[in-house]
Amino acid sequence: MARKKKSRAAPDITASTVVVMVLYVTESGPNSARAIANLEAICEEHLKDKFRLEIIDVLEYPRRALADGIVVTPSLAKLSPSPAATVVGNLSDKLEVLRALGIRG
Amino acid sequence: MQRASPPLTLSGTEAERGFKRAILRLVKGGAERLAIEAGQIDAIIDPSSGNAILLPKAQWALNERKAEALARNSNRLARAILDALGTPIVVLDVAGTVLSTNEAWRVFAAARSGVGAGITQGSNYLAVCESARGNEHVDGVTIAAGIRQVIAGERAVFRYDYAYDSEAGRRWFALSISGIVGDDTARAMILHEDISERKHGELLLGLEHRVLCCLADAGNVTDAVKSVIRAVCETQGWKCGRYFSMDQSAKVLRFGESWGIPIAAVERFLEHSRGLVFRPGAGLAGRAYLAGQPLWVLSGTRDAGVSRTALAPETGEDGAFVFPVTSGDAIVGVLAFSNPIIREPDDRMLKSVQSIGRQLGRSLQRLEALDALRRSESRFRALNRLTSDWYWEQDRDFRFTQIIAGNPFGSSNILGMTHWDLPNVVLTDSKWAEHKSHLDARWSFCDFEFATVQPDGQHAYYSICGEPVYDEVGTFKGYCGTGLDITKRKRAELALRAEVALNETDARLRALAATTSG
Repeated sequence: MARKKKSRAAPDITASTVVVMVLYVTESGPNSARAIANLEAICEEHLKDKFRLEIIDVLEYPRRALADGIVVTPSLAKLSPSPAATVVGNLSDKLEVLRALGIRG
Repeated sequence: MQRASPPLTLSGTEAERGFKRAILRLVKGGAERLAIEAGQIDAIIDPSSGNAILLPKAQWALNERKAEALARNSNRLARAILDALGTPIVVLDVAGTVLSTNEAWRVFAAARSGVGAGITQGSNYLAVCESARGNEHVDGVTIAAGIRQVIAGERAVFRYDYAYDSEAGRRWFALSISGIVGDDTARAMILHEDISERKHGELLLGLEHRVLCCLADAGNVTDAVKSVIRAVCETQGWKCGRYFSMDQSAKVLRFGESWGIPIAAVERFLEHSRGLVFRPGAGLAGRAYLAGQPLWVLSGTRDAGVSRTALAPETGEDGAFVFPVTSGDAIVGVLAFSNPIIREPDDRMLKSVQSIGRQLGRSLQRLEALDALRRSESRFRALNRLTSDWYWEQDRDFRFTQIIAGNPFGSSNILGMTHWDLPNVVLTDSKWAEHKSHLDARWSFCDFEFATVQPDGQHAYYSICGEPVYDEVGTFKGYCGTGLDITKRKRAELALRAEVALNETDARLRALAATTSG
């Protein structure tokens, strides 16, 4: 299986903060698929193009997840801006995700 | 963000509960435990091994995806294999609907007519077969019945050979319907194998065999030629054929024998052929004679070398197929066949007619020799009747093996006897000894006379001639010869001798009387 890695970078992030996130998933998992869909919807609604997201398939890169302190999938790690935060599960709790990302809903 | 570990509410089977406990032991964080309890987790990474452990739903989804990928690959492989096969194939469901076809079938169905023409994916094969009309009706109904039996599982395989007439000629197919077991929808697979070449070869082989049988059974030239023409016509579906024999003295091909299907047009055509004569090189028959090769005029085409008008007496308005009849290196005649449809012959056909031409030529030579022998024998018998009373043959021990033209020795069966064994034979031992010495020396003999005593006590007299017989390697086989009943002549001679003797005695007595009286 090829490494599934998506990077979406905003063309101009100087004016606003760019949120950098890593989503750890299991490619075949239903919760992972739901988490990706939920996160894409949140980003579309609240971040537009001011975010950078990397999606890691832990079946391909389990060590990478462990190194980042991730033990279950799906898990979303916000790396910046500080403070760092982690949300576990399929990201269906939108408010919890917004809080973790530092976005006022 | 740390949360207190929530109480675990385990459910499901013991195995599931055990698995969940094991999973939860790997997870320390409260958020993770909550997510697990909420069923929002797909996998857990074992910190000790670094391996990701899939939870059941994710595992099932992964398996599903793998199975789907495998099925897609399998379908692609099956399709590729079907398309790679050169035999036309269709796959049917339980209702006889075509689920799939291969590339060979698509070409086959588009190019042909008859049963199966135009069938594509989605067509109902049963309906197409059962709606076949004309010559294909019986084939269609039979094939449909076979399909139903296979789909119903009443038989594993149904095989059926059928033919149809295309513009290129008659084509034969071996149809095979096999049941499919283990698939949700596919029930039967139909293969159509083109067996035209094999069938054509079998027909020609059968024709050659039939010709050989005809020639073996034929007692004369007419029977031989007619039976061969008929065999060729019936095998090829041609309506008539004619034989032109080579008249070596006049150097022309003369119409000899013919055979045709019993319809008025053919009979008229053959009647008009009577008396036809072709010089070598003239007409199709003359050209075939000169070329020494089969020639043909295809239906509806004009032969480049001979105008249609010129050919009309030969072919009518039809196509023609002509080939020479050979005996050794010599061409003894030409066979000419006519039919509305004559197609380009293939190599097998050309070899077959050349073989038939040779077989017929050899047989004609044999039959003509046989005719000559019969005529010679007839002449010999006539001559024998004129010069002798019977003809005889003996084996190497001088015992009679054959008496022709009656038994000269009355009702006695003399076969197996020698001349000296004949009943009541009268001849001195010295005469027989002399005759036997001649026989042992294999000499020819002539006018050897002997007598037999008849029931009335009188003698019958016979004169025989004979000569030794040898086989082709010079081995003595016996004697043959003729016999003549000379009783009348012999008795007349004896009577004359007796009268002379009487007269001489009388004269001597008279002379003696004169002497004594004087």
